[in-house]
Amino acid sequence: MSVILHTLNASPASGAFDDCLRAITADDALLLLGDGVYAAMAHSRAWERLRACGAPLYVLRADASAAGVLPLLEEIEVVDMDGFVALTERYPRQLAWY
Amino acid sequence: MIYSLLVLSSPASGHGARHAVQFARSALQRGHTIDRVFFLDDGTFAGSAAAVFPQDEASPLQCWVELSERHALELILCVSSALKRGLLDAGEAQRHERCGPTIHPAFVISGLGQLVDAMTHCDRLVTFGG
Repeated sequence: MSVILHTLNASPASGAFDDCLRAITADDALLLLGDGVYAAMAHSRAWERLRACGAPLYVLRADASAAGVLPLLEEIEVVDMDGFVALTERYPRQLAWY
Repeated sequence: MIYSLLVLSSPASGHGARHAVQFARSALQRGHTIDRVFFLDDGTFAGSAAAVFPQDEASPLQCWVELSERHALELILCVSSALKRGLLDAGEAQRHERCGPTIHPAFVISGLGQLVDAMTHCDRLVTFGG
């Protein structure tokens, strides 16, 4: 089974966030966008849980900036929309959580 | 690569509809082909010809129309989602005895089979919800 790019557009308080974390494996990748960017805030409980899943983490720059969390990021790669497309080139399958 | 997009969120709320437009632009700039964009559930509001967006906001309708004109991508509204929301082309308006079409002519109303067909022919399917 091929690896999956998970895209999470839901707040860390949502069921979608929990479901995503249950489904993801360390071979997959996770892109936070929309309301999902709040999970990227360093040292938050959500951020700790994301780091524990072992998958590479990405966050969409424009959404992180709009949410005001851009200065609060640690150990997550910031990508623009071009980077999102590049992730879909690398990962043949995508799962959208929202 | 050939991409198909599935858009589930309304342009009037959330982030998904905006992400889909921006993703389409970036994918085309990177040399990919987008053969079809399938709009389902509240995503079908993208085709509404009557929606008016504030001048300081990008009009999602205009963005899709320009992309389809420039890159020949098919914009397909799921028929059952669209009709329930009052989104009709001329044929559906006549069939259901409504006063006239309510979607932009750049969009086509069709069935879920078009999504399945796109999934079997494309290299990548990317879904936008929320």
